[in-house]
Amino acid sequence: MTNGQAVVQLSNVRKEYGESVALDGVSLEIHAGEAVAVMGPSGSGKSTLLSMVAGLDRPTSGSVVVHGEDLGKLDEKGLALYRRRRIGMIFQFFNLLDDLSALDNVALAAQLTGTSASPARKRALELFEELGIADRRNIYPAQLSGGERQRVAVARALMNRPAVLLADEPTGALDTRAGEQVMDLLLDLNQIGQTLLLVTHDQQLATRCASRLVEVVDGQIAGERTLERTA
Amino acid sequence: MSAVWSVSRAAVRRRRLQTIVIGVVVALSTTMIVVALGLLAASSAPFDQAYARQSGAHLVASYDRNKVSDEQLTNAAKAAAAVAGPFGTKTLDFGNGLSVVAVGRADAGGPVDRLNVWKGRWPDKPGEIVLNRNPVSAGGRGDIAVGSKLSEPGGPTLIVVGLAYSVSESAGAWVTPAQMAAFKPTSTQMLYRFAQAATGEQITSGQAAVTAGLPSGSLLGAQSYLTLRAAAVGEPNTFVPFLMVFGWLGLIVAVLIVANVVSGAVVAGFRHIGVLKALGFTPTQVLSVYLAMTSIPAIVGCALGTVAGNVLAESLLTRAFENYGAGGVGVPAWVDVAAMLGVPLLVALSAFLPALRARGLSAAQAISAGSAPRAGRGLQAQRWLSGTRLPRSVSLGLGLPFARPARTALTLAAVVLGVTSVTLAVGLGKSLTTYQTAASRAGAVDVTFSAGTAEAGPGPVPEGADAPPAAKLSDPADEALMRSTAGAQYVTPSADLPMRLGGTSQDLRVAFYRGDPTHVGFRVLEGKWFDGPGQVVVSERFLRQRGLSVGDTITLQTGGKSTPVRIVGKALYNSGDEVLSNWETLALIAPNTRAQTYEVQLKPGTDIDAYVKAVQAGDSGLVETPGQDAGTFVAIVLATVVLLTLMLGTVAALGVFNTVVLNTRERRRDLGMLKSIGMTPAQVMVMVVTSMAALGAIGGLLGIPLGIIAHRLVIPAMANGAQVEIPAFMLDVYPLPLLAIFVLAGILIAALGAFIPARSAARTTIAEVLHNE
Repeated sequence: MTNGQAVVQLSNVRKEYGESVALDGVSLEIHAGEAVAVMGPSGSGKSTLLSMVAGLDRPTSGSVVVHGEDLGKLDEKGLALYRRRRIGMIFQFFNLLDDLSALDNVALAAQLTGTSASPARKRALELFEELGIADRRNIYPAQLSGGERQRVAVARALMNRPAVLLADEPTGALDTRAGEQVMDLLLDLNQIGQTLLLVTHDQQLATRCASRLVEVVDGQIAGERTLERTA
Repeated sequence: MSAVWSVSRAAVRRRRLQTIVIGVVVALSTTMIVVALGLLAASSAPFDQAYARQSGAHLVASYDRNKVSDEQLTNAAKAAAAVAGPFGTKTLDFGNGLSVVAVGRADAGGPVDRLNVWKGRWPDKPGEIVLNRNPVSAGGRGDIAVGSKLSEPGGPTLIVVGLAYSVSESAGAWVTPAQMAAFKPTSTQMLYRFAQAATGEQITSGQAAVTAGLPSGSLLGAQSYLTLRAAAVGEPNTFVPFLMVFGWLGLIVAVLIVANVVSGAVVAGFRHIGVLKALGFTPTQVLSVYLAMTSIPAIVGCALGTVAGNVLAESLLTRAFENYGAGGVGVPAWVDVAAMLGVPLLVALSAFLPALRARGLSAAQAISAGSAPRAGRGLQAQRWLSGTRLPRSVSLGLGLPFARPARTALTLAAVVLGVTSVTLAVGLGKSLTTYQTAASRAGAVDVTFSAGTAEAGPGPVPEGADAPPAAKLSDPADEALMRSTAGAQYVTPSADLPMRLGGTSQDLRVAFYRGDPTHVGFRVLEGKWFDGPGQVVVSERFLRQRGLSVGDTITLQTGGKSTPVRIVGKALYNSGDEVLSNWETLALIAPNTRAQTYEVQLKPGTDIDAYVKAVQAGDSGLVETPGQDAGTFVAIVLATVVLLTLMLGTVAALGVFNTVVLNTRERRRDLGMLKSIGMTPAQVMVMVVTSMAALGAIGGLLGIPLGIIAHRLVIPAMANGAQVEIPAFMLDVYPLPLLAIFVLAGILIAALGAFIPARSAARTTIAEVLHNE
């Protein structure tokens, strides 16, 4: 489900870490409502690519424009505000704060935008209900299963209604069943219009959730193809 | 190189920041401890050594020749361990303020009071004299050189043939016995050493033994060496109490920081410990690694601190004991040894408990954990805070200390001690300043005029163009002039006379006030002001150094005249050789003396310069003299206190710094995540600084009472060392607004300590952190 408008535009992006080149002349467009999977061997540069889109790192050269914002022109604060408003991220290892309950972990994302605690929790609870984990809202991350943690992470990523949802190996740390649930969740989100950029090793995740596959090898895009989603 | 050593070295290199923090903190603490112990141990050593070299007299006694014979004195002296005398004694008044107690003595040696003839020679015939001069302090302006001639009015001329030094202060000058006989001595001096002379009681007992059987009233006066000793050690003993407190505070902070560093290293290094064990390190080897990791910087810091402590202590001791030729007085070796062994041992002990945890971990458990689990701590606090209206970065920061309660407690303790130091230091500063202000009589005397006839010191008074200005009008006319000049509130004239305490060779300066003495700003601490002839008021130091108390009677001597006076009060001032009295007493001693000094208190709003000009227009010979000395010693103490406070404040801030470094490293992933969902660098900084500022505020609240208690203990101990009395009001130096500022000091210490690591956390590269799982 796409509407043809490019939400993410990477133009000739190069990223160097010292003498090693993580990305080398990568250009890529992701359109609104699209679900793109980036695959490639370890060290190929796919996570670096995700970091560029997330504004977690800056390219050595080239440009990254997301939702009309040229990330290269933003300072640190600008990047933080960008991440806050435009994107949501899901990590392989969930990255939840152990000290906060599941609900407070999710509400935190809204509170950072200035929303006060009560409406932030209300919105978080709505997401918990949508994701089927409302009964786990007061549990702390250490007491949640892997799948539940990743759902909490997804809820947090969706909290501020991001333009792009970025997922870095979202099923990598989950067992098969939990992985399936997360795949279903991502698919559902995309089907209601959420733009998705996935980085994964998992062919099944890619073919199930993504409409386009981008292959990255040695920091370069080695190929692209449209996917027929499997049920 | 052993595996343990190699891994320890790597750990030191890897934790450069913590290594530097430990090294600096241990160095600062060791410096303070070494200075304090050095002063404590060496405080009396230069005096004792000088005294031992000269076989100084434990008791210098003066007897009335009309009541006791030399033979009686010699027989009675058999109770002493060693004795010198009897020597004929007479006060010689050479005019111009040069008056000395001269003793007729055949040679400089002997069993007691072996004099150091450091210039010229000992007199070997009548007409020659040797003066008592300290080789270190002699040679100032107006001092008398070898070859000079001195004579009493109508008396023979004496040639100064040498300069000698008596630590016992047994005389001001020496002549041959034949010369003394020609002078017709007025008293007899005996110098005693006793087998037991460590305490005042033993000296008293010795004195009783050597005067037993002597005719009543034959003893005119006696001077114990403990009096001289007390005066000598007063200055270093003043430093000891607060240096000891600061030193211990510093050491406790160092222990807390080391415990924090090691426990932090263990908590963050579970995987590292697991790997070491998997490689084959025994539990004891792992323990050794963690102990060595802190011992290396501790030993280096301790060595540097010991050197710095020696340098500082030597400088303070040399200043205090320069009169005893004690240049280069050092810290005793045992202090250095104790510091070099004790401080690293203490550090190792503080590292031991957390290191034991590393020792006990199983390899599999450690490797799989990666770092110590944090779940379950402080969750209620976080939950409550997340519901408050505080900005989220602030509420998250406030919740952070609850995650690691033990680390928080250690950091809090460091801040508490930092605030305690600041509270103590400010209190010390205020008490000392208040004391100095009161002792210098600032505010009570606005202008002091000299009539130009005051004592100009020993030696000839310059004449002609170099002659000092002298008052043109008479004493009553000058007083009337000052009183009648617009702006005058009170005018108190006084005359200073150099006198001597009866039975000793101790020079005193007696200030005789005319009129109401309460207007010149002295505060009476005990007894009352003089209100009749034959009364004096003295300082606490005067009483202590001579074992006297209010109500006792002493004899003041000048020009061969002795006047008994009663001590009716004790006033607040520093000098141990200055006595206050009144014009009626002066009339008994030296009638017709004119006032040399006029202390004037002006009405509020009076232009001081205009007043001085108006008075000098009436008598151009009146000279305005500077007010009281601001107090070099107090300035040194204050500077030392400020320095130590900055050092301890820095040490406490380093404790916070270390905790924040540990926290932010341990929470790198959380920080990365927070940034990934939009937390700005400024918010990260606010969060991290807030986490410590809260501790700072609590530390402030806890540290203030501790600081006040320390102040209440240290000030009296310092006063005791300095032989002064601190009135109760000088301890009440903590008004409420000041206490509020101390709470801010805690916050400031914490915020400063947190700032750099917080900034570093704010700059964390998120991508790297989040992908390095």
